[in-house]
Amino acid sequence: MIEITLDGWKVKAQEGSTLLSHIRARNIDLPTLCQHDELSPFGACRLCAVEVKVNGKWELATACNTPVAKGMEVRTDSERAIAGRKLAASLLYYRYPATRAVRDLAENLGVAVAAEAADAKECVLCGLCTRTCREIVGVAALSFEDRGLGRDVDEPRIAFDANACIGCGSCAYVCPTGHVKMEATGDKRIIWDKAFKMATCQVCGRPFAPEDQLKYISARTGVPMSRLKTCMSCR
Amino acid sequence: MKTVSFSSWGGKVIDNRKGMPAKAAAVEAPLTIDGGPVAALMGWNGIVVADPSVDLLSLTVAYLEEARKLSCGECSVCLIGIDRMLDLLKARAAGKGVKADLDEMDEIVRGVAANAKCNFGRAAALNPVGDALKYFRADFANPAASAGKTTAKTYRVAVTAPCMEACPATLDIPGYIELIRNGRFGESLNLIRERCILPGVTGRVCTHPCEDACVRKDLDQSLAIRLLKRAAADADLKAGGTPLAAPAVVKKEKVAVIGAGPAGLAAAYHLRLLGYGVTLFESLPHAGGMAAVGIPDYRLPKDILNYEIDLVRRLGVEIRLNEPVDRIDPGKLKKAGYAAVFIAVGAHAGNAIGAEGEDAGYDGFMEGVEFLRRISLGQKIAPRRKVVIIGGGNVAIDCARTCLRLGFGEVEILYRRSLIEMPARAEEIAEAQEEGVKIRFLAAPLKVVAKNGKVTAIECIKMKLGEPDASGRRRPVPVKGSEFSVKTEMIVPAIGQNPALPAVAGTEALVVAKGNTVAVDAVTLRTNLDGVFAGGDCVTGPATLIEALDMGNRAARSIDLYLQGETPAAERPFAGIDTRAQRTKGFVSPAASVEAALLPAKTRIEGFDEVEGGFDAPAAIREANRCLRCYRLMVWA
Repeated sequence: MIEITLDGWKVKAQEGSTLLSHIRARNIDLPTLCQHDELSPFGACRLCAVEVKVNGKWELATACNTPVAKGMEVRTDSERAIAGRKLAASLLYYRYPATRAVRDLAENLGVAVAAEAADAKECVLCGLCTRTCREIVGVAALSFEDRGLGRDVDEPRIAFDANACIGCGSCAYVCPTGHVKMEATGDKRIIWDKAFKMATCQVCGRPFAPEDQLKYISARTGVPMSRLKTCMSCR
Repeated sequence: MKTVSFSSWGGKVIDNRKGMPAKAAAVEAPLTIDGGPVAALMGWNGIVVADPSVDLLSLTVAYLEEARKLSCGECSVCLIGIDRMLDLLKARAAGKGVKADLDEMDEIVRGVAANAKCNFGRAAALNPVGDALKYFRADFANPAASAGKTTAKTYRVAVTAPCMEACPATLDIPGYIELIRNGRFGESLNLIRERCILPGVTGRVCTHPCEDACVRKDLDQSLAIRLLKRAAADADLKAGGTPLAAPAVVKKEKVAVIGAGPAGLAAAYHLRLLGYGVTLFESLPHAGGMAAVGIPDYRLPKDILNYEIDLVRRLGVEIRLNEPVDRIDPGKLKKAGYAAVFIAVGAHAGNAIGAEGEDAGYDGFMEGVEFLRRISLGQKIAPRRKVVIIGGGNVAIDCARTCLRLGFGEVEILYRRSLIEMPARAEEIAEAQEEGVKIRFLAAPLKVVAKNGKVTAIECIKMKLGEPDASGRRRPVPVKGSEFSVKTEMIVPAIGQNPALPAVAGTEALVVAKGNTVAVDAVTLRTNLDGVFAGGDCVTGPATLIEALDMGNRAARSIDLYLQGETPAAERPFAGIDTRAQRTKGFVSPAASVEAALLPAKTRIEGFDEVEGGFDAPAAIREANRCLRCYRLMVWA
């Protein structure tokens, strides 16, 4: 255990733990858009910016991906930290003015938000779907289309690999804005514009999981396909 | 003396706009780029204005549009901030701005510099725009005032990164690391291959000057750039290997490449990709040059090299092995239909050590490069009780570690300077010592002692370090009366190589430069003979693999232009500029480099198995996440 100073309080911290976990433990309200406890930190939304003292100088750092260090001094309530979070929120709002998740965040951080009825549910590039797909599902059907030197990608976006996707829908559940849509019609599930055939339960006859997902589960766990023909409720 | 109107380069503000005495002497900013004068420049490290009539507003817009292309767009502040700035500036230019805009722009500049995710956003994206807003505020407050100013129709743009500048072949290192970070290993490999056609090879043996230039080196540890390159190559091979993209065009001319080493292979690949017919002539029974016969298997397994050569062959490059290349006949080659010739015969002749008896042909005396070549070609060399290797470079280390694996009883390196001057890679030296190689520092050979034609000992003298020589290392000086003798059954000198240059038939002759190398034009790589180019070790003397690849790449471009009747121009816009310098560092959370596993020293010396393990995909992604993405941008007129 080591000790850090958080907003003037001495806090005991496990080595390797992140600043965010201690900030949350003290019930300090710090918004995040791209953070999830089960996923590796990404540091993209910049909404959890706090100040950390480096060589006697206060610098902004994102709490989600900053591990504690012995004697670290942190402040969440300084003018600069608050301004940093507000600027990030106002830029997100500038880019996604009609997406409710962004509007709510921005409003909470003091950005003047105009009234808007509809929810545009835009992709805000938080990367929760790409990390869930790679780290939890183990499939990597979603990834960032890289921009940068010599790359001809005008706007950043998430690329979908239809060959790799198993239709599990984890990305739709984790998406904070509702951009990833999953629809069900009869024995079909449509996600990222790809239609998956659903397996029907041999007992109740209801479609319960995409066939591709069952095949993936079988291949990964060694459970034979013959044992994956019944839905959870009929088991 | 060159003078500036204004400079904020490196955060040092020099303002001569009011006609104050010129302080130009103190300017460390780029005032000329590739020989041409700079009128005004915006770069990651500040702005420079030499000609006050240049319109800063239009330069700022041009800069932001280029910065926009480099921003990855993943974090919430950098790309959106740039776009917001552009919208505000364009609105102002259209007369629709309000006064509060300038304050908002200040806020965005501050916010992006303090809170962007990567080093491009923090240290580069908006710094010069902040300077422009601060020191040229009147121009921004009243866009109409700049109506009379000069607006360049096109601005010149250059992008680099400290690691890219350090790389002899200027690979887009942040680019291929970012692709790995996003799990796009195949695309990463394609990007690497644009400038490095032997990715699996360099991923194992490159001397990686990029890692010394890595900005992260000063914070915790450099990125493992070499191993990330290897990870991209290994991932592709593991998935079955993808062939190289085929040439999009067919050109009628044919080019002859003499020597199938790294330089020759790189030139052949790029010429083929440009549509030319290419024949590679190689004197040895294997292609690969020094990578094939100079680097032992435990560092570079032959199947990796052979696979990468085979990809080039499958692209339609004809490789003729066992071809005598000691005599080049341009007339004959022309008659055979070759429009240009690229000489890349390498440097395969060992340098003399200057010891008495080295030319006597004693049994047990063998040049280092010849020793490695014989082993690589499958010839047997019987182990002896003791071997002394002379030299401190990678060839010496390679010979020593090979001897251990062959079963030599005792392996000792003799080096005339001390450990810190040793030119071999530090990790190679450490690995050799772990395996049991002894190094005797500050000793030089004097005489080879033999009995009945067989080596029995080497007479040496102790050295001390004197003043630094031309290489910057302290010169070794013999200590009088300190002669001593070391008993040994074999002596392997490895103190450098020189090219055994091919003769040219007819009345023509190649102009030869210092060190028995081919003289070429530094930019075009042309020799004194029309249509004959040269590159690689036969031009530079023994150098690194990546330098040879770079010369092959450049030779292909130059030969293409020559065949199309053009001449390449020098393109080193960042030459003389410190690309590591950045005005703000901000906070980077420390993260140690991911390490690759090494075989235990005991297991290593039992055979020629590869010593170093690579990264699997998760390890590579973890390491790639450490990249700070230090792209440096300059836009100028």
